[in-house]
Amino acid sequence: MFHLLQTGLNSTDAGSYLPVGIQILIAIGLVAFLMFATHMLGPKRKTTDKLQNFSSGIESHGDARQPMAIKYFLTAILFVLFDVEVIFFYPYAVNFRELGWNGFWAVLMFVGFFLCGFTYIIKKGALKWED
Amino acid sequence: MNALILSAVFGVVMMFSGILLKQKSAVRNLAIAGILLLLVSNVLETYGTAFFKVNVNGMMYFDRLALFFNTIVFVSALLYFLLTAKDMEKVGVNYAEYFALIFFILCGITLTSSFKSLLILFLGIEIISIPLYILTGTDKRNLKSNEASLKYLLLGAFSTGLMLMGIALIYGAKGTFSTEGANLVTDKPSVLLVAGMILLLFSMSFKASAAPFHFWTPDVYDGAPTVFTSFMATIVKAAVFIAFIRLFDEAFGTLRAQWQLWIAVITAATLFIGNITAVFQQSVKRMLAYSSIAQAGFMLLSLYAMNTDAKEGILLYVTAYSFATIGIFAVLARMNDYTFDGFNGLAQKDPLVAGSLTVFLLSLAGIPLTAGFLAKFYMLKATIATPQGLWLAIFAILMAAVSVYYYFRVIQAMYFKEGDDAKAPETTPVFRGTLVILAALVILLGIFPDLLLHWFYF
Repeated sequence: MFHLLQTGLNSTDAGSYLPVGIQILIAIGLVAFLMFATHMLGPKRKTTDKLQNFSSGIESHGDARQPMAIKYFLTAILFVLFDVEVIFFYPYAVNFRELGWNGFWAVLMFVGFFLCGFTYIIKKGALKWED
Repeated sequence: MNALILSAVFGVVMMFSGILLKQKSAVRNLAIAGILLLLVSNVLETYGTAFFKVNVNGMMYFDRLALFFNTIVFVSALLYFLLTAKDMEKVGVNYAEYFALIFFILCGITLTSSFKSLLILFLGIEIISIPLYILTGTDKRNLKSNEASLKYLLLGAFSTGLMLMGIALIYGAKGTFSTEGANLVTDKPSVLLVAGMILLLFSMSFKASAAPFHFWTPDVYDGAPTVFTSFMATIVKAAVFIAFIRLFDEAFGTLRAQWQLWIAVITAATLFIGNITAVFQQSVKRMLAYSSIAQAGFMLLSLYAMNTDAKEGILLYVTAYSFATIGIFAVLARMNDYTFDGFNGLAQKDPLVAGSLTVFLLSLAGIPLTAGFLAKFYMLKATIATPQGLWLAIFAILMAAVSVYYYFRVIQAMYFKEGDDAKAPETTPVFRGTLVILAALVILLGIFPDLLLHWFYF
């Protein structure tokens, strides 16, 4: 088995992917085997309690597929959007000195576009909670 | 670079115009002014006046092909705005946002026409795709529009994944994203490089709706509001093709032996499926969706041949195809009935619109004296010049003959059938004027194609 891992680093033919192929086959085979085995070997005692949905021990009510107000979704997605934009400041802060004025103008432009978007969503009323 | 920055800024301006401007006509005029500004600034850059000096680190390259293609796109977009901007009012309430999204798409198009790095290609394709997903679903109350949007998003995201995987494999093989670096090929290309190239071929074929990756096209084009189908089927498709050609010319030019047969098979399949399926359609809109697949097949011929004729030909082809299709969709957006019967007797009710429509349809079918004929001629000439291209050219001609059937069905309905109660589309003087100018341009390019191709060199 070990010699399969000893392929040259610079070999370019498809054969050098054989170990990867074997690995994929083993991964799929193992999952399939385990699912099949547990299904066949384990005992099955179905009771109404066991077949119920389980969530933290609290009894479930109704269906999750209900229409709900779009404002929850909007607030959540806008939060994610601005959160991700703020993440870009961290690499900038680390490289603040190296990037110099060029980096400063670039980030200023980034913040400018970002503020445009922010003004836009406020003007559009996307953050208005009470109707 | 002028057009790139101005289109991004104008996208933001259009966003705010929805809040600040109360009248829809003001928003529309601002958008038309914006596209004129883009056109002028792009032409200025072509002749040496660049407003912005930005160091792009060799990731973009604004050569004549890119700038000239941008000019074609902006002229098409200007005509598109003049013809259909008013019809966008009927789609939904967020009128200004539609223009904003279109300007963002134009920004993406300037990226795909001028990339020198696979990252910029990816960025361009994504900037084009994401606003399109939104535009497809703008008719929120219409279930078909929603379905089309979701289908487009899921399949588009999948093909984007393929593209990323391909770029990653090429990076693995060459250690650079630059299309020039990727071109350094030894006698025996590595498996990684070829696998990456094939993945890129598949994902670009998807975006260009080439068979067998075309399955999303009819549903999405049919479900999207007609005004936006027009934009997707013409300007966006042209942009994907220019990216396709640049990619396979610059990055994989030396690997031609590896991909030429793939392209030939895809081309033949696209021509066959597009044309044969279009014959059986009952709705003109859906017929045009299949016709756009068929026309994509013809455009793929330039990719197969990849010589000077092919490059000149593709510019003429996208111009001829875009002008004609924008004109047909502009009329279609004002029709009440999208079936072939809806066009019955249009020639008596509105001879001018019917006449222009006839010119556009003749051009798409490739009848002489229209731009479509010479575009097809250039493609076939380029194909025959390649060593084994003859069979592909013969097949393309056969399929073009099939296409005459479904284009002429519309003409036949307009001229030789009695319309009973269907009303002629309501038109404004601007609409009629632009339609006639468009038809005149199609004929003019059919007689003097050098009017266009001259500017490619001077």
